[in-house]
Amino acid sequence: MSEPRGPLSGLRILELADEKGQFCGKLLGDLGADVIKIEPPGGEACRHVGPFLDDIPHPERSLSFWHYNTSKRGITLNLEIADGRALFQRLAETADVILETFRPGFLASLGFSYDTLCQSNPGLILCSLTPFGQTGPWRDYLSSDLLHMAAGGEMASCGYDEADVPNAPPIAPGGGNAWHMGCHFAYISIMAALVYRTVSGQGQFIDVSIHEACALTTEAAIANYVYRGEVLLRQTGRHHAAAPTNRTQFRAKDGTYVTALITGGLNPRNVRNLASLMDHYGMADDLNDPKYQDPAVIAANASHIIDEVLANFIASLPAEEVYHAAQERGFTWGAVRTPEAVLQDPHLQDRGFWKPVEHPELSRSFTYPGEVAIYSDSPWRISRRAPLIGEHNREIFCTELGLSRGELSVLAESRVI
Amino acid sequence: MPQQPRALANIRVVDFSWVRAGPWATRWLGALGAEIIKIEWPESERGRLPSTTTPQGVEVNLNTSGNFADTNVNKKSLSLNVRSPKGLEIVKRLLAISDIVIENFSSRVLRNWGLGYEQLCEIKPDIVYVSMSGYGHTGRNHHYTTFGPVAQSVAGLTVLSGLPDRPPAGWGWSYMDDTGGMYGAMCALTGLYHRNMTGKGQHIDLSQMVASVPMNGPALLDVTVNGRGSARPGFPPGNRAHWPGTPLVNNYRGPTVAPHNAYRTFPGGYNDWCVIVCHSDEEWHRLVEVMGAPYWATTEKFATLTGRLEHQDELDAHIETWSTMLDKYELTKRCQAAGVRALPVQSAEDRVEHDPQLRERQMYLPIDHPALGVHKVQNAPFKMSQTPAANHLPAPMIGQHTREIVEGLLGLSHEDLRAGFDDGTFWPTKRPRFPYMEEMLQ
Repeated sequence: MSEPRGPLSGLRILELADEKGQFCGKLLGDLGADVIKIEPPGGEACRHVGPFLDDIPHPERSLSFWHYNTSKRGITLNLEIADGRALFQRLAETADVILETFRPGFLASLGFSYDTLCQSNPGLILCSLTPFGQTGPWRDYLSSDLLHMAAGGEMASCGYDEADVPNAPPIAPGGGNAWHMGCHFAYISIMAALVYRTVSGQGQFIDVSIHEACALTTEAAIANYVYRGEVLLRQTGRHHAAAPTNRTQFRAKDGTYVTALITGGLNPRNVRNLASLMDHYGMADDLNDPKYQDPAVIAANASHIIDEVLANFIASLPAEEVYHAAQERGFTWGAVRTPEAVLQDPHLQDRGFWKPVEHPELSRSFTYPGEVAIYSDSPWRISRRAPLIGEHNREIFCTELGLSRGELSVLAESRVI
Repeated sequence: MPQQPRALANIRVVDFSWVRAGPWATRWLGALGAEIIKIEWPESERGRLPSTTTPQGVEVNLNTSGNFADTNVNKKSLSLNVRSPKGLEIVKRLLAISDIVIENFSSRVLRNWGLGYEQLCEIKPDIVYVSMSGYGHTGRNHHYTTFGPVAQSVAGLTVLSGLPDRPPAGWGWSYMDDTGGMYGAMCALTGLYHRNMTGKGQHIDLSQMVASVPMNGPALLDVTVNGRGSARPGFPPGNRAHWPGTPLVNNYRGPTVAPHNAYRTFPGGYNDWCVIVCHSDEEWHRLVEVMGAPYWATTEKFATLTGRLEHQDELDAHIETWSTMLDKYELTKRCQAAGVRALPVQSAEDRVEHDPQLRERQMYLPIDHPALGVHKVQNAPFKMSQTPAANHLPAPMIGQHTREIVEGLLGLSHEDLRAGFDDGTFWPTKRPRFPYMEEMLQ
């Protein structure tokens, strides 16, 4: 029996993407599409972003590049040379989707506007994923992951209580998330266009803005302003809010932290449940006192309950133990884990999440994060490690486009590939 | 002018989801033209109440949450007691004429209702079923529950945000409710594409917690490949790519460069900050020019990347003496005109009122909500040439479309509708009805 195929099998994607779009290409590839990453001769600049295998900088050793470019084939092609453009034109005629992250207008300046490309391929979907979109006063502005976290509103919502870090700056969450946000929306728009094409046969052009994707990804911040005129405060390890709220992040005995949400706030039922959880460890303090069945008493003692009793309870145990004990009793709590701790999570192992990925050129296999959703009929699966520079030049230019080996070496000598 | 087609025209979604992640997923399917039928029950509603986003002076009730109103545009609401035999029969009739089912309950809820994937297939063989539970439907912790902040913590996202030797700053909102919603929509569209190509539906078992993990990919590979954990000096490095005085390793912020930080701007208010990043010596030289080539900036120690990384505290202090004299938008304009990477830190107010790019791109357009009046809602961050996404319906009031769906779509009689209100199928018998319910019963 043949191996089950991913839901996007049969689709061909051309990816002309740097750090802004490589994650979208990975998602499409992991879900079964034939993603061909087209890099400039010598390789894409993302190959120079660390960390590197054994900390030795080299374009074939970037772990960042490895992660974001699984399940793709790789070719090199110089689009600024006529011969390179001619080959791209031939590839474009075979593509279902082209994903590009060049500055607005660049691809069109090479003669590859959507209108031109779709003449020979009317079902083509061209997705341009750029920092600000194809129009508007900022469209030619430079950006970076950090810049998007600032302008998109993420930083305005992340930081510290004044008591924890006086005069703290707004804090950008971990790196790469602007690109994730843009890529998620790019993926959605591409899939919507593909679904539409299954019924209409028609392709289209999609203009995705990373700035807009980031501006959309701050939960209720926009609604708080639009409906109530509120601008929100940054708080340590918990939600932004119009006025200070109770802590939800507590230091555990092992020096790591626990996120302990009191869903529905402090009320008699929640205090009873908290007391029952802590009683198991002899740490309920005075929470079993009947006076706490009065909401007014709870309100007057909120700081005692949260900052003393709950904080002391968590401080007496390792974070993982608090996490599991609380979840088993119905509390929506979690341990604040490092990536290395996440790798040890048996639940993720139960789901077969960690995947060995072969690197044959190194004769080694490394563990990668795998599928976030389990598809019952068509698997999400890493099909191969990131391509080496020009790894599939011969396969694609010779075997698929019919060039001779001699022609290929001429192209290499003239820096077309 | 003829109306433009919608990408998901004729696609019907039965939406059992609540709170944020699920509704954020179906919001986008709705914007793309699918008919979203939100199944709700006021006694077990989560998402409409409690509301901290009801406008001042407006009564807090099931129809007045501002955040619900933004999160649930493009949907219809059917109030239905799915836990009653009659309600279950009605939802099955609806499922039989639908394409997609989405829910974000904990892992066993739908199965306990008798609506597990096997039963769904009996009702509609090619159904695309997306479950968006916290931990997924398999694995030893499948019964655990999440909200965004818990998924973020457990999956390793929280700890990567903050200053070194301080508690994690984490994420100031439920990033994984937003992003979990993205994955819900992505899974639904991927399953729908596969169905259209093969005729086969499937169950897509999405986990909010698991979806968080690959976003730490480079940090995870640093562990699995290099054996380097993130519990190390100078990590996380705040907004910097590297914390001075600690070993020079990549901190997953892209290239290891300086300057790479947030700087105070004039007049020093809570959100008067700007970020500046120089990816190369050339960009640094441009910044020096923008700052008016002050003497300190031309000294040898800042001339190289290594020097700027090593003397980052001093570098950042100098830059801030300059940045504090300028408004954040003025600073941005000057830097960008010279080819320097800089953008303002923007609050929600800044984005809605002051961001010229979002204004030009019509990111926030008004929509008239029956209980809240005219307010701006957030638009799609992509423009599709043939099938533009649009907010075409305001968020529904609870049960607003019950008659339309029960009579119009399912073909029940008006008497059936009235009987269902009387027997507690469409609204709890003892709960006061909203005026629009009385109207639909006339």
